[in-house]
Amino acid sequence: MTKLRARLRGWRAAVEKRLPPWSSRAMAVALIAIGIVLPFLFSSSSAFMNATIIAVTYAVMSLGLNVVVGFAGLLDLGYVAFYALGAYSLGWLGSGFFFKAQVHALVSPVASTLPGVHLNFILILIAAALICAGAGVVIGLPTLRLRGDYIAVVTLAFGEIIAEVAVNGQSIHVGGGMTLTAGNLGISAVDSPYFPGIGSFNLLNLRPWYWLIFAVLLFVLFVNLRLRDSRLGRAWIALREDEVAAVSMGIPLVKTKLLAYAIGAAFGGMAGAFFGTYYTVVNAGQFQFGFSIFILAMVIIGGIGSIWGAVVGGLVLGYINNYIIPNVLNNLPAKFGFHFQLTAVEFGIFGFLLVIMMVLRPQGLIPERRRRLELTAGIAAEDAQLVETQGPAGGPT
Amino acid sequence: MSSTETPAPPAAAVSVLRAEHVTKMFGGLVAVNDVSFDIPQHSIVSLIGPNGAGKTTLFNMLTGLYRPTQGRILLGERDITRARPDVITSYGVARTFQNIRLFGAMTAVENVMIGHHTQMRAGLFGSILRPPWVRREEVQTRERARELLAYVGLREPAFDRLASQLPYGDQRRVEIARALASQPTLLLLDEPTAGMNPNESQALTEFMRAMRDDLKLTILLIEHDMKVVMGVSERVTVLDYGKKIAEGEPAEVRADPGVIEAYLGKQAS
Amino acid sequence: METTTISPTPSPPAVAARSLAAVRRYAGRWGLIAALAALPIYYGITDLTNGYQAGFVAGHAVIHHDLSKLGFNFATGLSNGAIWALIAIGYTLVYGIIELINFAHGDVFMIGSFTSVGLWAVLGLGLTTGALGLIGGLIVTLIIAMLVTGSLNVLIERVAYRPLRSAPKLAALITAVGFSFILQNVGLLWRGGSPQSVPDLIRAQQPVFTIAGVPILRGYILAFAVMIPLVFALTWFINRTRAGRAMRATAQDPEAARLMGINVNATISLTFLLGGMLAGAAGLVYALYETNIWYFQGFKAGLIAFTAAVMGGIGNVRGAVLGGLIIGVIQALADSRLGPQWTEAVVFGYLIAIMVLRPRGLLGEETREAG
Repeated sequence: MTKLRARLRGWRAAVEKRLPPWSSRAMAVALIAIGIVLPFLFSSSSAFMNATIIAVTYAVMSLGLNVVVGFAGLLDLGYVAFYALGAYSLGWLGSGFFFKAQVHALVSPVASTLPGVHLNFILILIAAALICAGAGVVIGLPTLRLRGDYIAVVTLAFGEIIAEVAVNGQSIHVGGGMTLTAGNLGISAVDSPYFPGIGSFNLLNLRPWYWLIFAVLLFVLFVNLRLRDSRLGRAWIALREDEVAAVSMGIPLVKTKLLAYAIGAAFGGMAGAFFGTYYTVVNAGQFQFGFSIFILAMVIIGGIGSIWGAVVGGLVLGYINNYIIPNVLNNLPAKFGFHFQLTAVEFGIFGFLLVIMMVLRPQGLIPERRRRLELTAGIAAEDAQLVETQGPAGGPT
Repeated sequence: MSSTETPAPPAAAVSVLRAEHVTKMFGGLVAVNDVSFDIPQHSIVSLIGPNGAGKTTLFNMLTGLYRPTQGRILLGERDITRARPDVITSYGVARTFQNIRLFGAMTAVENVMIGHHTQMRAGLFGSILRPPWVRREEVQTRERARELLAYVGLREPAFDRLASQLPYGDQRRVEIARALASQPTLLLLDEPTAGMNPNESQALTEFMRAMRDDLKLTILLIEHDMKVVMGVSERVTVLDYGKKIAEGEPAEVRADPGVIEAYLGKQAS
Repeated sequence: METTTISPTPSPPAVAARSLAAVRRYAGRWGLIAALAALPIYYGITDLTNGYQAGFVAGHAVIHHDLSKLGFNFATGLSNGAIWALIAIGYTLVYGIIELINFAHGDVFMIGSFTSVGLWAVLGLGLTTGALGLIGGLIVTLIIAMLVTGSLNVLIERVAYRPLRSAPKLAALITAVGFSFILQNVGLLWRGGSPQSVPDLIRAQQPVFTIAGVPILRGYILAFAVMIPLVFALTWFINRTRAGRAMRATAQDPEAARLMGINVNATISLTFLLGGMLAGAAGLVYALYETNIWYFQGFKAGLIAFTAAVMGGIGNVRGAVLGGLIIGVIQALADSRLGPQWTEAVVFGYLIAIMVLRPRGLLGEETREAG
């Protein structure tokens, strides 16, 4: 078995050596092209497109959490807080919820006449990113001196507090007869995105929604790739590997960690704002602890610290959760004589996946580039031993 | 080259670092007790003493990892007693660790680039937007890292290997290169020859002198290997149970009865 | 250069520094105690001065100016706290020995409740069962439930944590969360998604006697009647038996314990067994007391009990009990005075405050510094 793996890796290394240097760039262009063309392969309102849109949004969130957990090594179990704040940014700044206000900026002709705060979706994206970045700093501050497992608990506690404020917000008055949130009833009638020249989005045609979130994904991906191979990215990994050594090398602990929280939160907020408008309602029931674990599972299963792993993890779990389980496999238990549908054991399935992953393949589906080096180097050492014991006849290159 | 040759004393009497009545207590335990000393510019000073004497604790205070319970530490004119470790590094103090602490998930080059962190300017937006000056900075940092690795004697193929994959001696080299990357004026080495055979120790001793001369450094080292201490130091400070019990030129300290007693115990002499 | 030999003398400045550090330590502990006492003291004072509404008689609100309501809050809180204490002990024992937060522990407690209720049906315990049969049946239920949850906890350790003992802490933590989810789903399938009411076997809300105007309900007595013997038994076990000594040794230094011939794996399994058993007992008490079970109760209880363990000082059994009782009172006060919709936020607010201001809790030891 080890020999087979060694041989496969040898072939892979040989292939990689023969590829021209522009190959990875060409592949990236190809993937983007596929991404843009994808909607034309499906009807504009299919269940598959719906699942794809949600999966891509999850991929954005997964990239955000990957910055905190993967790059900086801070176990954040309260990521749902940023989903909530992003969605509420949309609810506050893109609907008639604050009915006493009359603020309009670059919105559709219809929305310009409505009471409330109505900003263009891009402005709301920016606002959500900033609000969540601030929240990330606030949540991160108490955790700076804590050890790993305590960070998990404090962030979890914050997530729960924000979820509870979301529910109780309908009794928190902010003046003028308006409340902070609409609790479990939800802020409905939120604006759809509008761009001058394109018009308002509507849910009968899912393609513009898809292209919008795909553009957000490309942006977040770009920022991630740039950060990973930068001074800041190296500082995060150093802090993750050995905080004492990192600090002794001149890396400012507080500033670097808070930046990780802020950036990770900002991405989550942007995705949250998109969900707010896509689901057309922002209600407190959407923000449960389970969601934090769901996003964490994406990062872990995809490959902790790996950018492509985060994307793949988001897409895979998004599809499993929103397409495969409800649409394809939901009746599976019935075939075995059980009286429940597969959606009822979603939780358990994700829990099981987490356990399996950690025990069998903790580096995830697509390991972080550096860890892959470690693995390949380790296996290269195994190979060397194999060649020695086998003699000149066997062994891969 | 004989290692018993007494090196020339430094010309200038300027202090790079001065510790005044520094004390460190952990609960009821006094780890460092009222220690005062100073390090003259461009000198190589050794800090010795039996295990548990408080040497690494003192190092940790000099680099800001621990805060002294009492006393002051001055770097040149600056009071760094309460300063954060990363700030102290930016002031020109760099260190290596007793148990090598490299970043295992990074290559040797990347480890040294981390050392250069305080000398770089790219911030959040610089890292994302990568304007030409940031690109230049990255290229220069990488080149400088490779130069430093070559300077400490690492072979080229090892540059891009993961730090955790390197043999022990190479890891020590990378750690020194990483410390040098922050362009320090004061270099603190915590047991740099631990685990080395006599040849390697001798090479490191010569290297320390070379570093001091080439890079205009001041070096403070913790050492157990007496040959190294006697061969490279201009001054030796001895700690025992947290207190300074002797200080002076290597030959004098070696002959001091208090020092002999501390090392060999009361039954000797 | 002259050699200088300095003779050792006691240094006065060092003594002064010692007392300053001591002052800081006491300020931390008393600061926390003050923060905890703030709620009851505040409400005690408002009760006495402004009074509180104790009922409605003939269209008029009845206002009392005494401390009975506060006393009632305390009685409820301490009894709830006894349940949290039992769960908190499980957290603190496991963390003390392998430095892992067993995220699945709260859900083990939930399984304990579910198992107990299931056993009631099997044993035919109902509202009409006679007193003797009831007590016998409940004791049998307690024993079986404790064995089930104890074994479950051991199983989780064996399957999920032991393979990852050398892996980074993150991996074990994630596995724990995964198991928590699996158990929750088991509960969900077992009894559905909504809270289920269960037979009020011991008439938990019936007052037995009254102290200073505060009714002492059967449920309170049950909670303490179960907790106190179990805590004593556990403390005796840890302090007086060989296995208990092995637990303490392993918690201090696993490598040294191994070198002394202690079977570290077995000791860790034992720790999980004991923690799980206590969670099972808590589950039974909870079912009898709240007369309500829910697949999600473990998650909530787990967080509260973990807060209790941290507040008392993680790794410290007495601390877990103390923390549990304190959190119970805070919870009761928040429920009664601020409304249950804010209780969680209050409890978690306290958790965050402890983590920031005094991570080692009330009875915990000084943690080592970095480097």
